[in-house]
Amino acid sequence: MIESHIVVQNLSKTYRVPEREPGLGAALKSLVRRRFTDVDAVREISFTVAPGEFVGFIGPNGAGKTTTLKILAGLLHPTGGEARVMGFAPWERRHDYLRRISMVLGNKSQMLWDIPPLDSFRVLGEIYQVPPAQFQQTLDELIELLEMQELLTKPVRNFSLGERMKCELVAGLLHRPDVLFLDEPTLGLDVSMQARLRRFLAEYNRRSGVTVILTSHYMADVVALCPRVILIHHGQLLYDGALQGLAEKLAPFKLIRLTLRNGHTEEEILRAAQNDGENAEVMEQENGQVTLRVSRAATPAITARLLNTLPVVDLSVEDPPIEAVIDQIYQEGKVEA
Amino acid sequence: MKQEARGKRQESADQRISESADQRVSGSTDQCSVLSPPSSVLSPQHSALSTSFNINLRGGWALIKKTWLMWVQHRSFFFLLAFGWMIPPLIYLFVWATAAGGASIGGLTRGGFVAYYLVLILVNQLTYSQTNWTVGDTIRYGGMNSLLLRPLSPVFDALSSEVAGKVVYMLFVIPVTAVLALILRPELHLTLTNTLAFIPALALAWALRFFWGYWLALLAFWATRADALLALQDALIFLLAGQVAPTALLPGVLRQASHFLPFRYMVGFPVEVLTGQLDAAGLLAGFAAQVAWLAVAVALFAVMWHAGVKRYSAVGG
Repeated sequence: MIESHIVVQNLSKTYRVPEREPGLGAALKSLVRRRFTDVDAVREISFTVAPGEFVGFIGPNGAGKTTTLKILAGLLHPTGGEARVMGFAPWERRHDYLRRISMVLGNKSQMLWDIPPLDSFRVLGEIYQVPPAQFQQTLDELIELLEMQELLTKPVRNFSLGERMKCELVAGLLHRPDVLFLDEPTLGLDVSMQARLRRFLAEYNRRSGVTVILTSHYMADVVALCPRVILIHHGQLLYDGALQGLAEKLAPFKLIRLTLRNGHTEEEILRAAQNDGENAEVMEQENGQVTLRVSRAATPAITARLLNTLPVVDLSVEDPPIEAVIDQIYQEGKVEA
Repeated sequence: MKQEARGKRQESADQRISESADQRVSGSTDQCSVLSPPSSVLSPQHSALSTSFNINLRGGWALIKKTWLMWVQHRSFFFLLAFGWMIPPLIYLFVWATAAGGASIGGLTRGGFVAYYLVLILVNQLTYSQTNWTVGDTIRYGGMNSLLLRPLSPVFDALSSEVAGKVVYMLFVIPVTAVLALILRPELHLTLTNTLAFIPALALAWALRFFWGYWLALLAFWATRADALLALQDALIFLLAGQVAPTALLPGVLRQASHFLPFRYMVGFPVEVLTGQLDAAGLLAGFAAQVAWLAVAVALFAVMWHAGVKRYSAVGG
């Protein structure tokens, strides 16, 4: 069995946050006696990641995703539990650990604004003590993959958000990390730039065998890149497994899209669909097309009945869109069995 | 690709980090192996480094060059800054030179004051640690995150920026001081002992001023406006380090304070050494004080750094 690259066990992080009532009086009082509340950002989560895996870390804002990533990258000290990345305790920030990881933050830049990216890259190459030949080879490779030859000699301040993100990725990968933490790398990018970065990340992961943990609010990123997702909410791990499995587990329903030869009312369609208390719901009805939400188990029976009783021109059975599934978890805060 | 890039960017091509052509590897031959994980690539010397204050000369030198690259884009700004820093010593030069007139005050003639303040302008520029002012912002605005992720202690960023900065400022300050010297006719009798003693005194003064400011700046880990303390340090240096007057001319209590506190050893002491104001005992006492205060400053820096990063990693950046 291959040893895990990342081992996280009962990891917890509690922040002490000062709090006070609004107003001048409360402000003065807080000078004398500060009150704190404990905020549990991460509560006893456990998971392991094998070398070369591409794991999506999902959850609503404030779920604890970035906190977990920061602990793994060595920026935060956990308040409980254990985390080992390639055998290192990340928060010791040993230089031989830092040389083997990389963290790319979508909302922070490590590029220097006033000088062309090539100069920043060289500085990073020196800081990471990358041998010159290897540096040049990696750089050429990354630049080709990201199609950014023309950017190398312009000052970074003139770049678009997407161009800057390309630079961040090159900067983060120049020293060929074994483990890559990506915190919302596609934040604020247009769809085609998102797609291009996704292609790059998939290709890079395939070629280099780097282990990646990615957080993103764009489900398209997760669908395209991550065979496995870890879902956390309120600091707790709700799901760890295949993305497809999450949809099945969470959304015990399917969508049936129907196109009928002549117009039928909602009641007529529902009457045709429902039987023995099997539940069906009309989600949408327009231009002769109807979308029904039905329980996963009853789907075959209902489909058969619809085909038998209604003048069906076209029928398709689909899983609900992943966004809807995720939204439901974010709202309800739990994964239903 | 690199040659093209180099051609396109002629403006500051000479400032670019030089890299010999033989470092370039022809083509990308085997793409899979190119991007293979680096664990096998790591040389033993890399894995031997572990503590947080390792010297990484390659990284440090690259940071110095980076700072130059950035600053050539803003050279006029830095020349203006340097000009601003020259003004207060220049004012006091004229005040004291005028006050001395044809006589002498506390052993210094008009020409003596001119020499003292011209040397002080140079020493002040060389020891002023402007990077201390940006440490707080780096901590407050989350810039510390990317620095902490690198296998290089963030103090190297400040140190490299210091070294790079001195070179840029000197490009401006040395010619200006030379012109002032031609006009104002300083009286400076250099001896071999004084000149030789001046070099370590200057180096120690810079190190002391840098680390003293740095540990104060690190208070930003706890308090949001820690740079107020840097302003206080500047005020104390102005008063006690020989700027408003050579420390020998300060009234009783202030003179004693200036000899006891660290500030004189950041600026005034090396100036007094070069201008020959000190006897052997004064030299030795000065060096002893410099070394002692530097030890204190470095210790405080180390304590503050470890405690600060500990707090930073507890509360999040």
